Amino acid sequence: MKLFQGKIPENEFMQMREDALQTWPTGQDVDLDDAIQYQRGLPDSMNFARKMYEADQAKQVLLQPRAGVALVEEHIQLLKYLEPECDLLPTTIDAYTRLNQYNEAQRGIEKSKAAGQSLLNGFPAVNHGIAECRRVVESLSKPVEIRHGTPDARLLAEISFAAGFTSYEGGGISYNIPYAKKVPLEHSIACWQYIDRLVGYFEEQGVNINREPFGPLSGTLVPPFASHTVALLEGLLALEQGVRSITLGYGQAGNMIQDIAAMMALRELADEYFQQAGYKDYELSTVLHQWMGGFPEDQAKAFSVITWGGTAAALSKATKVIVKTPHEAFGIPTKEANLEGLKCTRQIVNMLADQEVPETKQMLWEVDLIKRETRALMDATITLGNGNIAEGAVRAFQAGVIDIPFAPSLANPGKMMPVRDNHGAIRILDFGKVPIPEDIRKIHRDLIQKRADFERREASFQMVIDDIYSISKGRLVGRPR
Amino acid sequence: MVLGVIGADCHAVGNKILERVFSDAGFNVVNLGVMVSQDEYIDAAIETGAEAIIVSSLYGHGEIDCQGFRERCVERGIEDIILYVGGNLVVGKAPHEEIITKFKAMGYDRVFTPDTPLEECVNYLKKDIESHRAENGKNHQY
Repeated sequence: MKLFQGKIPENEFMQMREDALQTWPTGQDVDLDDAIQYQRGLPDSMNFARKMYEADQAKQVLLQPRAGVALVEEHIQLLKYLEPECDLLPTTIDAYTRLNQYNEAQRGIEKSKAAGQSLLNGFPAVNHGIAECRRVVESLSKPVEIRHGTPDARLLAEISFAAGFTSYEGGGISYNIPYAKKVPLEHSIACWQYIDRLVGYFEEQGVNINREPFGPLSGTLVPPFASHTVALLEGLLALEQGVRSITLGYGQAGNMIQDIAAMMALRELADEYFQQAGYKDYELSTVLHQWMGGFPEDQAKAFSVITWGGTAAALSKATKVIVKTPHEAFGIPTKEANLEGLKCTRQIVNMLADQEVPETKQMLWEVDLIKRETRALMDATITLGNGNIAEGAVRAFQAGVIDIPFAPSLANPGKMMPVRDNHGAIRILDFGKVPIPEDIRKIHRDLIQKRADFERREASFQMVIDDIYSISKGRLVGRPR
Repeated sequence: MVLGVIGADCHAVGNKILERVFSDAGFNVVNLGVMVSQDEYIDAAIETGAEAIIVSSLYGHGEIDCQGFRERCVERGIEDIILYVGGNLVVGKAPHEEIITKFKAMGYDRVFTPDTPLEECVNYLKKDIESHRAENGKNHQY
């Protein structure tokens, strides 16, 4: 796959679809006209884009869990169990499908049938095919999103939209850098240009489909400016292909001031860059992911972390919050634990619905800092691409302009090293080649030095390791033992 | 020692930390990163003459990915290699003892759940390599 300059022409796009649909037998059942008719027949109450728009207008925070198991019947039971306590439903896809290993996914389905329990960590939608996926959608009454981590998610997108799913998480950067090892960025971005073009095609036919670039990336000490840059680039790439309903995401970092400031900056930066690029007809919403790093094993402690995420979402006026569970430290949760995470979040979100945090001087300083940092990366990326966002993104990773901490991809520079400051906000210990101006670097250095002085040790990789495990061990800042 | 995250798993954070911790403890770490197949571990172990393979899995497919690893080592002629596995090894929450029994039956010498302090893994590996060398009449430094 090669990168496209601008919107993919319709005839070229239709030819590309032929190839994508041949990668697994269930692709043969996709008929675009039938898919559009089916989507038009679904009630508005099941449309993800409509629900996000209404919530954004009403300043509501919607709740969404993660969930997916190997077999259709069990998956339906799981979602029906969660449905009363959430506003938006997920269908989380298994790891084999994410790598297009449909043969392995099939083996997982067979082994799960034999074992009487799911041996896959998600729902293999491609293997199940359109008719079975429609059975899932038709069993529910709330909008359902496909959540995954797939660098080449073309076939999955075709089947998902034909089956009535109305939101699709991911992007050419955010579903490559944290999820793959050897997939070239050019390839994943081109695949996602195709997916965004497919969403754009549905929009042209009057069917709304929501798109959500994956905000948290590696989920490990990612500073707001790094994830915001990726969110803005993927937002621009999506709008370029005709996407209208776009939800930009951010993973909770843990310091409340920084988290609220990050969400404010994200929304303002999105409007700034989208409008600068000439887009007016888009529906912007935001999502906050509750803490994506390691969790305490103790469930009471885990609920505390979940509550803190619910608090960050409510106070930062996120349009939706992705909810964790008290089993997070152990892996895939039981459905009961999943429901408990939702209830816990609902309680705090409701309690905070009528409260507002004042925009203090410190908060506005943080908003301004994040904006200046993000603009430095965005402007360097746009310059590298000579105005072409896709090219710019590829070159920005090559040049080290964008660098995501602790990401597995070989396309990621991996030189930038984050660490918490003395109040737990994420700062940068080593900038690598990220083009942050010197005056801002000094701010980071000084803030980290304050922590080092307080802890009477040098800021080092040990401090970073301490920060990675700190929340699972009971606090935000990884103090020396 | 050869280190890596098995199967289709792309959890990279713990892998980067393990590399650092084992290196700092004096081990010669060959880190294959994420998404490593059984044969890739074995290839690397044969190529480098490694004394241990440390397998991580965090995403829940560990049970499928880790099956048959010891048999594969036997087939490839490194039947005596020390084999460790650790992480979130099964889908869902299961008692630690149950998980440890299951993976030991697959031929793993030690099985670690996520609550294990890293120093403990380091100490076990030092001990296991020493006794392994004593059995094989070797006595060199790692």
